[in-house]
Amino acid sequence: METEINSMTSRQRVLAALSREPVDRTPVCNPTSVATVELMDLVDAPFPAANREPELMARLAATGYTELGFDTIMPVFSIIQESSALGCKIQWEQKDNWPTVKMMEPIYEDVDDINIPSDLLTHQDTKCVLDAIKILKKEYGDEVAVIGKTMGPWSLGYHCFGVEPFLLMSLDDPDKTLHCLDKLKKVTIDFGVAQIDAGADALTLPDHATGDLVSGDYYRRYLRDLHIEFVDSIPIPLILHICGRTVDRMDYIAQTGMSAFHYDSKNKPQESIEITQERISLVGNINNPETLFARGPEEVRQEVYSNLDAGIQLVGPECAIPLQTAIENLVEIPKAVQDWHSERAAQN
Amino acid sequence: MPEITDVENEFIREEIEEYLEQPNEIERAINTFSQISSAMQEIAAALIDGDHHTVDQLTSTALEEGTDALEIMDDGLIAGMSIVGIKFRENFIFVPEVLACARAMKAGMAYIEPILSASGIEPVGTVVMGTVKGDLHDIGKNLCIMMLRGAGFVVHDLSVDTSEDEFIDAVEEYDADLLGMSALLTTTMPNMGKTIEAFIDADLRDDVKIMVGGAPVTQEFADDMGADGYGKDAVECVELSKRLLAEDDEEF
Repeated sequence: METEINSMTSRQRVLAALSREPVDRTPVCNPTSVATVELMDLVDAPFPAANREPELMARLAATGYTELGFDTIMPVFSIIQESSALGCKIQWEQKDNWPTVKMMEPIYEDVDDINIPSDLLTHQDTKCVLDAIKILKKEYGDEVAVIGKTMGPWSLGYHCFGVEPFLLMSLDDPDKTLHCLDKLKKVTIDFGVAQIDAGADALTLPDHATGDLVSGDYYRRYLRDLHIEFVDSIPIPLILHICGRTVDRMDYIAQTGMSAFHYDSKNKPQESIEITQERISLVGNINNPETLFARGPEEVRQEVYSNLDAGIQLVGPECAIPLQTAIENLVEIPKAVQDWHSERAAQN
Repeated sequence: MPEITDVENEFIREEIEEYLEQPNEIERAINTFSQISSAMQEIAAALIDGDHHTVDQLTSTALEEGTDALEIMDDGLIAGMSIVGIKFRENFIFVPEVLACARAMKAGMAYIEPILSASGIEPVGTVVMGTVKGDLHDIGKNLCIMMLRGAGFVVHDLSVDTSEDEFIDAVEEYDADLLGMSALLTTTMPNMGKTIEAFIDADLRDDVKIMVGGAPVTQEFADDMGADGYGKDAVECVELSKRLLAEDDEEF
């Protein structure tokens, strides 16, 4: 049952939706990144510095709430922070591009190479996240949900071994791959718990076992049990993020006990919710490259309505939004959510 | 017309029966495999199975026994890769399995390529491929390269983070028929358009067909940029390359 529209704070709304409890209206959430060049200019917090300096990271992240009207703040704009701390080489790029791990120069070749450094949580690029969360928690903690991000071991495997060597290892030597994942999970847990200590209300856990690369059965064999373990080891709502086609593994994902799954526009809202049912909340899935980046507010509104009509619990972009996305398209998301609920209230 | 029972190799028969669904593809596969020698069928089967050790050994043996290198490439390796491509397109197999098949293909081509190169046999076509400037993702581009090589193209891989000048220099150096550009990030997609403009500025645009692809790239985006074609995956990349080459032949 819904309560009166806008009777909850953003934080209450997000945490309730993650638990599939009643909400006053559907929260707007991006568990990956809302950074854009326009927002960087607006608050003078450009890339790449905003990925490495906590004050800039917090300032840019807060625009998700203050400028866009989303119900969450997500300070981690990339997927490279802990990989940098592990020793991966990073191409930091400039204001108009995300930093990327140089996966052509892998740091591991074998399971014995995996050595979690003692400064994992004090390295500049992990500490930056922890400090940014502390700043945001202090400033916005009561009103808006601050979401952190800790990378899953499968994604870390891509970064540290290189995508092709890691995927070939998964085929050639499944036991060794499981051993690697088991060793890498310490990074996921330690960084996740540290973000809870810093004040995060929930954590995104990207682990890119996407249907564009591996089968649904791969997810079951390699990751389902690990993800169940994360739910026990990281005591906070977890939002699993996997890009691309995932309907063939959504049933397994729904079995993990994670609070939510951030899903891609390659999966239809109705089909996705029929698979997951009430076992896990869904977050998404406004298309990035074709809709938010290349089209206008009307098309954005249509996708928001499509998600709401299907009963999606948290609405937002499907993944980290393109850096050149226009603000007018992003602010259309909360507007459309508000209108959908108002129309529905008027009908009742 | 040959029947499935005319395909001697049991593994290949089972592959056709289990994974091929489109009538024209079934017919083509039966036609191909019923006409090739049992040794070539064995090579194709090992490749489809992703067994690079066996492909290595069988290719070496076939050459020692006097089999023509071109026959091994066409009837063993490329024929096998055509089944792999269909299985990948239909989601029966995924990237790890394709990588294993490509590794098997590479094991065979390690013997074949020097022989073909020395004998001056022309490839199906010459392609330059790279991921655009600012983008370090290469798995999609690499899959395209594997499938193109599996279809008989010579591909020059410029790797990742490729500048406009590097693309232009490579197309000129290798006298490429086709240029393929890949991008995974929405932030780097526009660099495809900038590269196309650089080819126009260098007065080289008419010398090469340009195709683009990558997760965020769409046909609409490709058209807007002025690309000659867009492929949504590695299998489409091969079909597109063949089509663009045929168009090129018609134009000249």
